[in-house]
Amino acid sequence: MNHLLRTARNSALPIIVLTAVGTLIYFFAEAYQVRIAYAFFMNLVVAIGLQVFMGNSGVVSFGHVSFMGVSAYVVAILTIPLALKKTQIPDAPFGLGFVQFDVVTAILIALAVTVAFAWVSGLLIKRVSGAAGEILTLAVLVICYVVFNAWIDLTRGPRSLYGIPIASSLPWAMLASAFVIFVAKFFRDSEDGLQLRASSENMLAARSMGVRVERLRLKAWVLSGFLVAIGGVLHATYLGTIGPNSYYFTQTFLIMAMVILGGMRSVSGVIVGTALISVGSELARTLENGPMVFGTKLPTMFGLTGFFLGAVIVLCMTLRRDGIMGDDEFEDVLRNRRASKAAKAAADTAAQAV
Amino acid sequence: MEYFIQQLVNALSVGSEYALLALGLAIVFSIIGLVNFAHGELITVAGYAMFFAAATWLPNPWLALPIGIGGAALAAIVFEKVAFRAIRNASTNTGILTAFGVSIIVQNVFIIFVATRPKPVQTPDFLSSMITIGELTVPTLQVLETVVTTIAIAALLIILKKTTVGMAMRAASKDFMAVRLMGIKANWVIQSAFIISGILAGIAAVFIISRRGAVDPFMGSVPVLKAFVACVLGGLGSLQGAVIGGVALGVFEVLLQVTLPQEITAYRDAIVFGVVGLVLVAFPQGLLGRKVELGDKEA
Repeated sequence: MNHLLRTARNSALPIIVLTAVGTLIYFFAEAYQVRIAYAFFMNLVVAIGLQVFMGNSGVVSFGHVSFMGVSAYVVAILTIPLALKKTQIPDAPFGLGFVQFDVVTAILIALAVTVAFAWVSGLLIKRVSGAAGEILTLAVLVICYVVFNAWIDLTRGPRSLYGIPIASSLPWAMLASAFVIFVAKFFRDSEDGLQLRASSENMLAARSMGVRVERLRLKAWVLSGFLVAIGGVLHATYLGTIGPNSYYFTQTFLIMAMVILGGMRSVSGVIVGTALISVGSELARTLENGPMVFGTKLPTMFGLTGFFLGAVIVLCMTLRRDGIMGDDEFEDVLRNRRASKAAKAAADTAAQAV
Repeated sequence: MEYFIQQLVNALSVGSEYALLALGLAIVFSIIGLVNFAHGELITVAGYAMFFAAATWLPNPWLALPIGIGGAALAAIVFEKVAFRAIRNASTNTGILTAFGVSIIVQNVFIIFVATRPKPVQTPDFLSSMITIGELTVPTLQVLETVVTTIAIAALLIILKKTTVGMAMRAASKDFMAVRLMGIKANWVIQSAFIISGILAGIAAVFIISRRGAVDPFMGSVPVLKAFVACVLGGLGSLQGAVIGGVALGVFEVLLQVTLPQEITAYRDAIVFGVVGLVLVAFPQGLLGRKVELGDKEA
């Protein structure tokens, strides 16, 4: 109970700030700006979901975007109206061509399916670490992508599924990200989270203290799969149309850049990273289309957004490996500042006394 | 029988391609512990070097071959100097992420300055011809690929066994500090490893491009994924493992292609990655890797 309250207090600051900014945008900004804000909150959910596994266990995962894909596809297949389904996936297996659920049920089923998938894949992934573990997560990504593309009866293959009822809007994304921030912080500061972080620093020492690394890794993997699945639901229910290419390397690297720029070991860091990358890639996208600057037309340069992401990753790795926030959360930064201020004041009074 | 031999030649050539790429990855990994995902971009750079050479002042397709290989070697040196030197002593994670960053940068530089669309590249005509031996007809390219790979591996073996730099590289994979104490410059050893990996990637690139006839910014990403799989399958950092893993993967892929019914072949890559994943769960050090206990001094 104590831990719950402490987490609530610690996650209040970022949640309040984000909600305030989101609310302002929702009521006063242009429609396209609301869309950008929605994308920000959605990516925030996915990035923090990834942080729960990567940041605590120290294992880099390239596979999480597939959880987004699985949940988005489940929502799509369960909610697309029957008439539209008949034209898109008439031969859907398991009689899925003849069922349609309301959005809430479909979302719950999608989350359950994704969690089950995460659990099964996690049973294998928890056993392997190092480079082999990373290739295993990569295998998850590739396998899901191939299945999305190849199971044409169910997913319509490389062509998009459309007609998903649009049920989500910016407030839902804000709510989801507040929930995800809370859960991520709760896990990070819990006993499990602490033990898992210890194992990422020194596996041998943690094992010898009785930390059950595999079990904790599985827990983190499933929890992060669940959080990322929420991101997938947000994606499908806002766009109304999904295709396999949204859940492959491009999205993986976008999220990866967000997580490592801010610092993968800190939830606050991921929030900072997501904000910076979102602003940065939006700027890059504007430049990409060749805008007018001081009366001169700049040339169009497709690929600038990708270049920007790559540069962020490389620079971050060479200059500031732990990311902007390193190990610190917002509350740590505030506390340190307060502490150093107090120390300074104490030193001043001591000096005056002398 | 004829069909069988044709498919065997095919499998060997695919396997050779993976082996060449996996060897490059393994050499770099064995020395500095870097999983170089930007390796695939060496292929892309080689392809564009050939494209530009042909488009500007050297239209002879024969010249394209050394230019491609040289381009890849040069790119490997540049990658090392610009990006990988700064993270030399960092963790595997840092290395993987940096390498991915480099690969995204290179891809997008080509998108910005050339185009996303594929560009045609001319290679010598005989590469696309067929060899007929008695009843049997096989593509020259496939035979040549296997032969050249064998020669390249033999040459690599000679370098590793007989030259100072080769011995330094082998020693560095065991204990880099001892190599430096012997008065051998670290940068020299590492640069040589990158040059070798670049040349190997360049040779693979020539064959890949002859087969495709075109270059595009993303052409390196699929081969490097496969090479990485081959590497891990054989045991990361083990050179024999890389070759065996590469050939095994090639044979396995062709086998699936040939034996699976039409409607399942779309899932081929999923099956390959699934099997590799299971192998890794059973043998996390790869098929040829040594089992290392946590805390062993010599990891």
